[in-house]
Amino acid sequence: MATPIIELKGITKQYDDGFVALTNINLTIEQGKFYSLLGPSGSGKTTILRIIAGFTNATQGQVLFNGKLINELPPNQRKVNTVFQNYALFPHLDVFDNVAFGLTLQKRPKKEIKRRVLDALKLVQLPGYANREISELSGGQQQRVAIARAIVNEPAVLLLDEPLSALDMKLRQDMQYELRELQQRLGITFIFVTHDQEEALAMSDEIFVMDNGKVLQSGTPVDIYDEPINHFVANFIGESNILPGKMLADYQVEFVGKSFECADGGMRANEAVEVVLRPEDLDITTADQGKLVVKVDTQLFRGDHFEIIGIDADGNEWLIHSTNPVRDGKEIGLTFEPEDIHVMRFGEKEADFDARLEQYEED
Amino acid sequence: MMKKPRISSLYLILVFIILYTPIFYLIYYSFNAGGNMNNFTGFTWEHYRTLFSDQRILVIVLDTLLIALLSSLVATIVGTFGALGISGHKKAATRSTLLTLNNVLMVSPDVIIGASFLILFTSLGIGLGFGSVLVSHIAFSIPIVVLMVLPKVNELDPALLNAAQDLGASKAQTFWRVIIPYITPGILSGFFMAFTYSLDDFAVTFFVTGNGFTTLSVEIYSRARQGISLEINALSAVMFIFALLLVVGYYFVNQYSRSRRQRQKRHEQAEVTLR
Repeated sequence: MATPIIELKGITKQYDDGFVALTNINLTIEQGKFYSLLGPSGSGKTTILRIIAGFTNATQGQVLFNGKLINELPPNQRKVNTVFQNYALFPHLDVFDNVAFGLTLQKRPKKEIKRRVLDALKLVQLPGYANREISELSGGQQQRVAIARAIVNEPAVLLLDEPLSALDMKLRQDMQYELRELQQRLGITFIFVTHDQEEALAMSDEIFVMDNGKVLQSGTPVDIYDEPINHFVANFIGESNILPGKMLADYQVEFVGKSFECADGGMRANEAVEVVLRPEDLDITTADQGKLVVKVDTQLFRGDHFEIIGIDADGNEWLIHSTNPVRDGKEIGLTFEPEDIHVMRFGEKEADFDARLEQYEED
Repeated sequence: MMKKPRISSLYLILVFIILYTPIFYLIYYSFNAGGNMNNFTGFTWEHYRTLFSDQRILVIVLDTLLIALLSSLVATIVGTFGALGISGHKKAATRSTLLTLNNVLMVSPDVIIGASFLILFTSLGIGLGFGSVLVSHIAFSIPIVVLMVLPKVNELDPALLNAAQDLGASKAQTFWRVIIPYITPGILSGFFMAFTYSLDDFAVTFFVTGNGFTTLSVEIYSRARQGISLEINALSAVMFIFALLLVVGYYFVNQYSRSRRQRQKRHEQAEVTLR
């Protein structure tokens, strides 16, 4: 494992008015990866970014950069650069001077500044925009200038604070590809703050899911999607059917009054749990062949799939994604594989969760 | 549909006529050979000749301009820092108290300010003259500058300051490269406001001029009391033209600097692409 470039140890942030924004945050950021801090607004993700950038100080805990404590280091001496949510471009400077701002401060030779700025603009696909005033640019272009202004300084870590939130859907998707590509080309560590789970899933090497000033779960997008640690994560990342259940034995779980084979274990017998079934893992079949039988309640066409809501005999709602439509009011059967069932314990800590998963999912 | 703009433009023309007629009336009679403002008897440059040979009035004009320039310069510097200081306070209550204290000075009658300065200077034993006028002009100009600069300072997005720091700027560099350029329009308009306020102030100046030193407004007042001299008209005409030139000049300077910046950039760009 490479040496972490940034480490947060036991970070707590309490504001003057007593509001606790972060509680005991521990993060390890490695060189050259794309990280996302994902959470609803007010979950403290931007505060973490501001602590790493140095705009605000942690009340408790340590910020380490390449193993050195940088709690007291002012932002202008940190080797990180930020792309701000509203871009924060300087309106009195044109595109060239905005991008050149950092290099000019470093008193680089003029020739070098010119070359690097134009290279950076090329990299964000804005060649020939050097003379434009900021007010002449569209939101997407301003976004690119903001990225160019940050990466031209060759930071060790690039912090991005919801940079895509102001863009329209199509542009946002294009930018997701571009950002990911840019990160891989430059090999710079990206820390990306977002409340959009799709964005985080699409771009990240690793995601930290946050809520209420705490990191609930960290892992690769696939891990987090397939094995959410609790109700909040399961609900926040993607869509899911979450049902109360009971762990009968290892690999045997009961919900909606029936017993199913599953791939989870390591819990007490008859422990109350929650069961997650992703809507795309539910396959539609005839009523007599299904493991479950539901009656189709509503059906929405989403373009690439149909979103079907069915209600079973006990009144539970089931969300199903299907490429084929079904008839409203019809009884349909649902099937799924044992590994489609994900079991969550109540109040399980991330470390215990990971240990248990490792033990029971290897085989 | 067509009537409304016609009425509004008619109204506009009327207002401008009312505003400008007295000035043109004054200028018109500055060419009157008759020596009064009752009937125009013939054209003459005589009043202008007397004006330009009047050593006393020329010295007063220069003094007035000097006072205006110095006082507005100092007031601009002090007022700008004042505005930055006011908006820099964390507590909203402190901010609004400071702003109110500033505004009280704006609205309190000039007579009160003039009289209080007179009392201050005499009780401190400071002689009246150039210095006392300058100090009092600086004093009443500062609140004006604060009021002109403050909106720009408040408009400044704190993220811009963060961005500057993030890109490696120290506090001083952030100040000179981001804050000052951003609020420059406010500073300039504050300067020009202070300049004009100082130029035409009468009430405050009247109290603190003392003997021997006087400004244009006080001089015109004392001359007008002794009876009308068309030399004053000539002076007013010259001042009016001067003001007009200032406004036009300011406009062209603005236009020029903008277009020059564009040209320069284009030039630089061309150079780069050639290489």
